[in-house]
Amino acid sequence: MKNTKLTNYLMILGWVMLALVLSAPVATAAEKPVVIGLQGPITGPWAYEGQMAKQSCEIAAELINQKGGILGGRMIELRVVDDAGEPKTGALAATKLVGQKDVVAVVSTYGSSVCEPASNIYERYKKVNIGYGVTAVRLTQRDFKYFFRTCGRDDSQGKFFADDVPKRFNAKRIAVMHDNTAFGKGLAEDTKRGLEPLIAAGTAEIVYFDAITPGEKDFRVILTKLRETQPDVWYFTGYYAEAALLISQAREIGIKCPFVGGNAAINDEFVKIAGLDIAKGCYMTNEPLPGDLPYAEAKEFLKAYKEKFGEIPSSPWPIYAADALNIIADAVDKTGSTKSDVLAEFLRNKADGVPGITGPIGFTAQGDREGVPFYLYMVDDQGKIVVAE
Amino acid sequence: MQVKKIAGFDRIFYFRKKTFLGLLILFGAYPFLVSNYYIDIGFFFGIYALLGLSLNIVLGEVGLFDLGHAGFYAIGAYTTAILNTKCGIPIFILLPVSALAAALFAYMVCSPIIHLRGDYLCIVTIGMGEIVRLALINNPLDLTGGPNGVFGIDFPSVGNIFVIDSSIEYYFLIWVAVALSIYGLSRLQQSRIGRAWNCIREDEVAAKANGIDVRYYKLLAFVLGAALAGVAGNIYASKLMCVSPESFTFWESCLMFCIVLIGGMGSIPGVLIGAAAISLFPEIFRPFAMYRMLVFGGAMILMMVFRPGGIWPRKRGISGK
Repeated sequence: MKNTKLTNYLMILGWVMLALVLSAPVATAAEKPVVIGLQGPITGPWAYEGQMAKQSCEIAAELINQKGGILGGRMIELRVVDDAGEPKTGALAATKLVGQKDVVAVVSTYGSSVCEPASNIYERYKKVNIGYGVTAVRLTQRDFKYFFRTCGRDDSQGKFFADDVPKRFNAKRIAVMHDNTAFGKGLAEDTKRGLEPLIAAGTAEIVYFDAITPGEKDFRVILTKLRETQPDVWYFTGYYAEAALLISQAREIGIKCPFVGGNAAINDEFVKIAGLDIAKGCYMTNEPLPGDLPYAEAKEFLKAYKEKFGEIPSSPWPIYAADALNIIADAVDKTGSTKSDVLAEFLRNKADGVPGITGPIGFTAQGDREGVPFYLYMVDDQGKIVVAE
Repeated sequence: MQVKKIAGFDRIFYFRKKTFLGLLILFGAYPFLVSNYYIDIGFFFGIYALLGLSLNIVLGEVGLFDLGHAGFYAIGAYTTAILNTKCGIPIFILLPVSALAAALFAYMVCSPIIHLRGDYLCIVTIGMGEIVRLALINNPLDLTGGPNGVFGIDFPSVGNIFVIDSSIEYYFLIWVAVALSIYGLSRLQQSRIGRAWNCIREDEVAAKANGIDVRYYKLLAFVLGAALAGVAGNIYASKLMCVSPESFTFWESCLMFCIVLIGGMGSIPGVLIGAAAISLFPEIFRPFAMYRMLVFGGAMILMMVFRPGGIWPRKRGISGK
């Protein structure tokens, strides 16, 4: 009696183990395509960004393949792994990719705290990895050999806010609100640092500097506190879900000052959640959105993207993922090698002004992108996000 | 039914030495058969097994609702991270230190709340877990690095000779830790302490009437559970080489709670099965992409409907029948 039960349990266990063993990827000996990995949040809270990054990389690879591929006719194959936007799963995803010997280099990932453990693993297993939505400053201050990023850093955006916004709105009393995530708090602190010269000169003042708790639905208590400080302009450095709720509730309790969001605060979803009436006239600091890029590569890319998916990406990050793929393909093509050391060396020292979708791509000695432009955007009367005049 | 006189592991797993040996060989051989990715899944399975075992002491053995267990886990991980990066103390020395730090924290925090019952204790522990996480985010004394966390943690090593730095070595590190914990906990289950714990779980008043120091034993459960979670934190920190508050959210506490409930309260093999469910299912369901968590949640509900007592409920040995 007991034994039959026992055997059943063991059978199940055996089958599970067998399934695991069988589903382990079998290394293919195929030489043909050049495989480039993409690690991104395909599921989880930032799935919206991850899906678009995947689509962008697909398009970028297709465009290269249509022109005959690289290295005299080898196609590019994209291999996507999901990191669900979590540090732990990010580490797993990275391990998955470094275990696949045919992956030449990796586009990885969205979110700084996910990137951190993942890039440790890539560094350890000597795989070139290029971040596309990772803006924490310290990521490129670790003297890593194989880590690069095609996007800007938090402090470039904070500095832009300090240089542009107070002047534009003639604002003296500035409120800065963040959401305590690595990204939000980092950006808020860089903004504070950027504003220091103005504060010292007495032309600006930070009247509010505090955090909200992401995931909450009712921010009225915090907003009442904000209202009391009577800010001239209000900068929120968190993500769009909270931004939309914040602005709706703020207008409800009578905060009328201009709302400026960080580069993750405003996108089409923001307009949808907040509603057009409230969303219009909201500003954000941002890298140029895909549609506003003046480059020929951008026009070609967006045309292909629109043909396949019906609309162009609504946030800037996926484009950086596509550019990361482009620069990897370019490096492989120009060096004629798929060795990580050769590629890293090339990207660091020789890749300069390579035409990309987001403009010429080149890297600093630390692996940061050289020269990332910032614009101030606003939501217009139709709910479109346009460059502010 | 004949009650066999069995002790130690046999009693815990309800099967004979041969099958136990088979399991041991399976776990030992597994990392040599699969790629690093699957070894790492095995590693995180181990982490969750250890966390499940630690919460099982509090929730399973004594029946105290603790939904803030990620707090202890975080204390262990951050103790390791901070002392290693700031003072350069080796990870292995920090293993007991992390356990002690988490245990001490549990002792201090739980002493005043230990008399609370059921839901009330649950609420306080939720608060405690959140306070730990928020404190880490606010970067007290510039130690925790705020939302960015602490990074640059070493590999566990003894001098330069024995360094744990590959997936396989981490896999064995965590499973040796799990095996030792299982051995210790199974002994504990048989002991006076284990019986006292179960007695408190079944009927606190009766336990008191029988002369069991309820307060002492409850606190002991919290302290031991926290210490074990601290050990898990230490290994987790050295594996990821960085810790950030995002890894110790309320969701993490919920997962541990699920592990114990899915497996069966107070059952050690149940905890292993629960941990397997929690850590393997999300990976197995990854192809479902957006519907992953939906499928995961559905599977959990089905499981609880058809096996409300957990997959492998604890069978108390019948003594003196």
